[in-house]
Amino acid sequence: MLVQQIINGIVVGSVYALTAMGATLVYGIMRILDISNAGAYAIGAYVAFFFLLQTGSPLVALVAGVVLTAAFGFLVQKFLYAPLMNKSPNVSLIAGIGLFIFLQDFLRLVGGPQARELNFGTLLPSIQFPSLQLTLYGTWFLILAATAVLLLILWLLLNRSPIGLAWRATAQDLETAKAMGINTNRVVAFNFILGYGFAAVAGILVGILYNSVYPTMGDVPAYKMLAVIVLGGLGNPLGTVLAALVIGMAETLIGGYIGFFLPRDAIAFVVLILILLWRPQGLLGRRRTS
Amino acid sequence: MKRRFSLSLLILVLSLGLMLAGCGGGGGGDKKPAAANKAPIKIGFFAPVTGPAAADGDSVTKAAKLAVEKINKTGGINGRQVELVAYDDNLKPQEAVSIAQKLTTKDGVVAAVSGSYSHTTRAAAPIFENAKIPMIAAYALHPDITKGGDYVFRQSFVGTAQGKAGAFVAVNMLKAKTVAILNVDNDFGTTLANSFAAYFESKGGKVVSRDKFTMVEKEFNPVLTKIKQLKPDLIYMPTYSGTGAQIARQAKELNLGIQMLGTEGIDSTMEFLKVSGATADGIIITTNLNRESKLKATQEFIKDYTAMAKHAPDMVAASTYDCFMVLAESMRKNGAEPDKIKDGIYKIKDFEAATGLIKGYNKLGEVTKNVQVQVVKNGAFTYYGEITDADIITPPDK
Repeated sequence: MLVQQIINGIVVGSVYALTAMGATLVYGIMRILDISNAGAYAIGAYVAFFFLLQTGSPLVALVAGVVLTAAFGFLVQKFLYAPLMNKSPNVSLIAGIGLFIFLQDFLRLVGGPQARELNFGTLLPSIQFPSLQLTLYGTWFLILAATAVLLLILWLLLNRSPIGLAWRATAQDLETAKAMGINTNRVVAFNFILGYGFAAVAGILVGILYNSVYPTMGDVPAYKMLAVIVLGGLGNPLGTVLAALVIGMAETLIGGYIGFFLPRDAIAFVVLILILLWRPQGLLGRRRTS
Repeated sequence: MKRRFSLSLLILVLSLGLMLAGCGGGGGGDKKPAAANKAPIKIGFFAPVTGPAAADGDSVTKAAKLAVEKINKTGGINGRQVELVAYDDNLKPQEAVSIAQKLTTKDGVVAAVSGSYSHTTRAAAPIFENAKIPMIAAYALHPDITKGGDYVFRQSFVGTAQGKAGAFVAVNMLKAKTVAILNVDNDFGTTLANSFAAYFESKGGKVVSRDKFTMVEKEFNPVLTKIKQLKPDLIYMPTYSGTGAQIARQAKELNLGIQMLGTEGIDSTMEFLKVSGATADGIIITTNLNRESKLKATQEFIKDYTAMAKHAPDMVAASTYDCFMVLAESMRKNGAEPDKIKDGIYKIKDFEAATGLIKGYNKLGEVTKNVQVQVVKNGAFTYYGEITDADIITPPDK
């Protein structure tokens, strides 16, 4: 049972890592808590759903979902956040929440209020180990593989490429980076494209895992993503992955051994509070020196 | 200066005129019964059309429109047409309160139907009670809803009766000795879980675990893995379709092999049956819609609703539809004023409705009818049994 629960926890944590990564990237560079990223999570899943319905091809659905949502991220940055760049961060925060609410109702009006099935068929069969009382879902491998590959690509991009260098420079100080000749507009735009692409992948994978897409599917990610980002140390991608695994594992083990004495999300936030009492800067955040 | 004075005078005169016209309109309507008799009868309605329960909101809104259409097609209320005044409560109690106030003070409805959940209906009920406008809750099941007074009724089983019915199924039909309870953490799930546990334990059964979750939960592997080790005879899961479908799917994936018993909350053709697919086969629920009922009212409703909505109806739709039919029956026989409607509902006996034969309403406004037990077979709800035991189906009157 322990092995099963640890695997459950890793899968839940991977889902959180994927979900929170988009918003972490945006926060890292823009210092904006982009709630509408959770809207992109639902948009990605819905675009995939519609393409699956029309073409019947999981691959087309997946690519369309990611590409169109990434393009949507570009538009959000250009028309929503860029004009608000010089205003207080609260303005951007509220604009993002507004967009998120709009997207939810938009999806309800277009896709209907019911949960719809996102049936990609059996991509990978489940494996049973009766002697160990262990079950491994096929979809889990997909999620773990996707998370590992995407995070590796992200790490290479950030640490081993010129774009990554420009990116880190922009994240440290946008004005100075601009003065050094970095096209910061392009860096920011690329950041949003990637951030929303990540959200779409997360939304689609979660849609496949639970065989459903529904208009309010971004609700829980919208606040849980914040917990993960804060716990990870605000805008630190590696911290986000670690925090996601810690929260996923804590929820699963507490839920599995003590039971859902509190709803699972509440358990996650209790863990968040306890860890923040111990490390106010987050797991991998830097202590602020004044 | 003079000009400004005359302008204010003009505004004053105009607004006085409008006020008088307003009063005249209202008063005149009351004084001229001949004219009023042809005016449409307004029935208020609220449902969670947006927000997390929008799927149920959609089902019940369709059912309400269908019911009003049906009443009007079959002659209206002694020649008068019925008009639906519908609002969206977003599943928020504060919205339900302001809707109830609007319906009772501005819209001039003679009765209302709640197509919403327990917490919203509970917030709205006292307002209807104080305004002396009868309200029927379609499927909200918290016991407190009807406790406020005479004007609030319930069309589906009160939670305590349905929880007991679930335990009756567990003990007598499924012969379960041990049960794990997995409930959604709100008025609905808690009421059902508590009353289930009380009856189940009184019959010698043992509750081996109790777990709760929010209505947006999707991940049940941790808790199902835990329950698997406890090896209960049965899992009782009072929850809604979204969460219920995930429990069904994940239990199947984990090879749980434990019989599951649900409630009317997963009596949803679109969200539950479609999303859970084949994994729902064999799940048993307590509900109030018997799809194979011989009653004409049931078969007609299923046919009309399917034609209109392009999918088979669920329990919330059937319950909502019945509320309007009960109101119409009361108005046709007793008159269309709020007090008379209320008295008329108490007089209803053996009324054929879509959700079965309504034996009547007790002094709390609770309905008495048989509890239906349905089982999922080949992707559809089908007949499993019917509870007619008076001890179980008679709602409490205190």
